[in-house]
Amino acid sequence: MKPLNILVIDDEDVICEACELVLSEKGHAVTVRNDGKAGLSAIRQGTYDILLLDMKLPDIDGMEILRTAQKEKPGLCIIVMTGYSSISNAVQAIKQGADEYLAKPFTEDELVQAIKKSCGNH
Amino acid sequence: MTSSAKFENYFHVFRDIIRSMHSSTSLKEVLNVVVIKISEVLNAKGALLRIFNQETNLFEVRAASGLGERYLSKGPVTTKKILSASSELHKVLIITDIWNAPRIEYPQEKWDEGIRMMLDVPMAIEDQMIGLIRIYLTQKRSFSRDEMDFVITVAEQCACIIQRVQLAENQQAHFTHLATHMEKLSSLGRIAAGVAHEINNPLGGILLFSSNMSKKVEAGSPIEKGLKIIIRETQRCKVIIQRLLEFSRDKKPKKIPADINDIVTTALGVVENQFYLRHVTVEKHLAPDMVKTLLDEDQIEQVLINLLLNALNAVEEYGRVTVKSTVDAAQNIIEVEIADNGCGISAENVKKIFEPFYTTQSTGTGLGLSVSSGIIKNHQGDIRVFSELEKGTRFIVELPILAENTTERKAYETAEHTGY
Repeated sequence: MKPLNILVIDDEDVICEACELVLSEKGHAVTVRNDGKAGLSAIRQGTYDILLLDMKLPDIDGMEILRTAQKEKPGLCIIVMTGYSSISNAVQAIKQGADEYLAKPFTEDELVQAIKKSCGNH
Repeated sequence: MTSSAKFENYFHVFRDIIRSMHSSTSLKEVLNVVVIKISEVLNAKGALLRIFNQETNLFEVRAASGLGERYLSKGPVTTKKILSASSELHKVLIITDIWNAPRIEYPQEKWDEGIRMMLDVPMAIEDQMIGLIRIYLTQKRSFSRDEMDFVITVAEQCACIIQRVQLAENQQAHFTHLATHMEKLSSLGRIAAGVAHEINNPLGGILLFSSNMSKKVEAGSPIEKGLKIIIRETQRCKVIIQRLLEFSRDKKPKKIPADINDIVTTALGVVENQFYLRHVTVEKHLAPDMVKTLLDEDQIEQVLINLLLNALNAVEEYGRVTVKSTVDAAQNIIEVEIADNGCGISAENVKKIFEPFYTTQSTGTGLGLSVSSGIIKNHQGDIRVFSELEKGTRFIVELPILAENTTERKAYETAEHTGY
């Protein structure tokens, strides 16, 4: 798999650290942001292949970031992550245009699989 | 006293008792009027009214008049055995020998109080013993049939009102139990959702790191075995949380075409007794041209009951609550308005009333209106409030007029089947 530029937006440090470790070991470049505001400016300024987005952030609703990212960066693959492992949330996110969905907690394999699939979709 | 004067006297006493039964909300007040008036009209020293408590099997003193403290302090209860022995349900028992009558517990005290004769008047409905009125007289005398008829009629009326109040109390207790249970479940849902999110994040860290590490260690080594256990158990936690969420999640409305006027009528039926007991008038203006729309009848009924009880709690005795339903075909909506002329809500508090756990009632959980608002939102409707202090409050529930769409229902049923 070719190295990708991945942006992780999650207010939970442990999730950011774990994703960073797993993905950088696979050869990807990982950027981490801890809130919606910093996340949005990273989306606007940087060039990323994949966005790993937590739906519940302290400042901005994940759904809103999802919509903005789609409008401003139509080529970006978006994988949403949520702690409410409800299927309706996932359906809503996919309807809004997310490529993949990860219910926390997830394993390394599930994360890698989601990345592969979302790249294939795009 | 002439016989006609005597009858007039009975009539007045009877009228006073009936009047108190209809105007007073407290059972205690009514029972006090009964013992005072009945002693007066029979020229008795006093009277004691006991109500039979089926749970304890005891007759409990609920009202007394004209008796010395010394006697009353002998204890407020008498067992069923003593008072029901040899008593007929609809017949007055006359006790003239207070020293030897089996149902007299404290003859000495009675003698000292100057009591020489007693009448035990049962309060009964059909074959059920509700209670007993004991009348104490200071001299032995005979009683005419009219006098006996009079006391029995008073006792029967009294039994009816006691039974009515007891029924209402049971109903209220049952309803409060249901309402609290529903609110508890709903608050459990909120807590579970919050906890799930908080716990899934740290679990996410554990699972990612442990699954990453398990690939770096030698296959079959004790470390790999330990990491596999951590992975398996973390996934088990995930399942437990998921189940908890599924259990406590607010139920999706099961919508069928329904007439909201029928739901208003059912809801009013449930709370009717409580309004009646507090002498609160309910005015009902239901739109004659009401149309059916897709509603979850149980959930909408729950909302209406909640709003009606809030209105009841807001008004004083003899208050007024108005329930109105209207159709607005132009905007394709129906509305139900529940208005009261009660204490009103301050502008500052109006903002908070839909928030969970906000309450002004000492026994409230503060979830009624937040749950109601959630239900109406699930129906794509709206709930609005207009209130003015000391003037009253108006709640308006607005719902869209939706026709049944069979494709949508099928999709919904399938989705429900698959858990979506």
